[in-house]
Amino acid sequence: MMHAEDLVTRAREGDAVAQGKLMQAWYKRIYNFGYKFFFDHDLAMEVAQKTFIAMHRHIAYLQEASRFRPWLYTIAVNCCREELRKRKNSRAVSLHDLRPGNDEEDSRTWEVAAHRDDNPERTLRQAELADILQGCLMQLSDEQREVVIMKEYEGMKFREIAEALNLSENTVKSRMYYGLEAMKRMLERKKITRETIGYEL
Amino acid sequence: MNYKPDESTLIAYHYGELEGEERAKVEAWLEQHPEERRRLDDWRDTRAVFGRLGDKEVIAPPIVVGDNHRSFWREGYVRFSLGIAASLLVVVVAARLLGFTAVYREGELRLGFGEPAPVQATLSEEQVAAMIQRSLQENNQALQATWTEDRKHLEDNIRKNVLSNSERIDQLVRNVSQGQQEQIREFVSQLQANNLKTIQDYLQLSTQGQKEYVETLLVDFSKYLQEQRRQDLQYFQTSMSNMQQNTEQFKKETEQILTSLIGTGRSGSQRVY
Repeated sequence: MMHAEDLVTRAREGDAVAQGKLMQAWYKRIYNFGYKFFFDHDLAMEVAQKTFIAMHRHIAYLQEASRFRPWLYTIAVNCCREELRKRKNSRAVSLHDLRPGNDEEDSRTWEVAAHRDDNPERTLRQAELADILQGCLMQLSDEQREVVIMKEYEGMKFREIAEALNLSENTVKSRMYYGLEAMKRMLERKKITRETIGYEL
Repeated sequence: MNYKPDESTLIAYHYGELEGEERAKVEAWLEQHPEERRRLDDWRDTRAVFGRLGDKEVIAPPIVVGDNHRSFWREGYVRFSLGIAASLLVVVVAARLLGFTAVYREGELRLGFGEPAPVQATLSEEQVAAMIQRSLQENNQALQATWTEDRKHLEDNIRKNVLSNSERIDQLVRNVSQGQQEQIREFVSQLQANNLKTIQDYLQLSTQGQKEYVETLLVDFSKYLQEQRRQDLQYFQTSMSNMQQNTEQFKKETEQILTSLIGTGRSGSQRVY
């Protein structure tokens, strides 16, 4: 989508400019993958930086340029799992978790959302909904969350996800199936439907 | 129709990743199972809601990308080999400067600095054996002399100690026997004195006791006589009192009889007349 195979080819050959362009093209995607996985800005930044440092070091070993996307997400998932292990061991609290409430002026949610809409009430509701949905994602298991984010928000095919996670396609589909069922139940519990969202927003 | 798609097939169909005949079979199955169709519609709605969770805006940080190609001289194995070669060069130069020599001759390796020192003449095996033998003999003789002197000294000491101890034992025996005679004499005299005192005390106690016993006996006898006299007197008084009462009783009865007789005689004479 954002990359051309010749860019990847040039990056594999050591072209620093091509590598920089790849990073610029994919940084937002990898950051958002990390953010949705951790619901944490600092950890998402950490994952994105580590992913592109690893990309720079190992892209010469990438066999086929057409497989750049699953390869890049493989690195990103490994970085996420590494951070997850660190976090479970250290039980550290991110400063982002201690951020002020959404009604305060220096809220990141407020800042990000302010660029989208000029209606403050709608902006606030949008931010609240985003937090609720992100909270639902965090209730999924790590394995289901990886698959759901890759499928729903990164738009990857099941084959690509299976390649990135080094799993069979059936395993990936099964995780998606149960993840989707769990998400549906969560919305039912919170009484959130497509209609109520459309009405309120 | 017993066909029922598994969860993998169903999810692949839902995401549009099912092609051809498999897709048609699922669609036909969904036509017959409206409740499953509704479930897929619920999935669609769920995904639509979660689709409202958008991306965060972020700016990629400037990362300075260095040259990815490593030069031949920076390869690991080249640097390792060069390190070994440099170390060897330093060793060789240092050895040269310090005059290091290594000589191997007649199965002997000699390492040193500067000119090798001349080898001094060494002793033959026979000479070494003779030296060892002589040294052993001298050592044995010295040990023998020492042992003899020590033994003699030890025997003298034992003899002196035996004599000294015998004298001490005799003196002790004499002292003990003398002490025992004196003790026996003192014991016998003390025993005699004690016996004499005991007999005197016994006799004295015996005389005094007899005297006290006789006195006590006389007193008791006197008390007995006095008591007996008092009881006799009481008996006598009681007998006399009884006798007096009987006499008075008899007197009264006699008077009554006489009175009665007198009264009877008067009444008879009046009837005769």
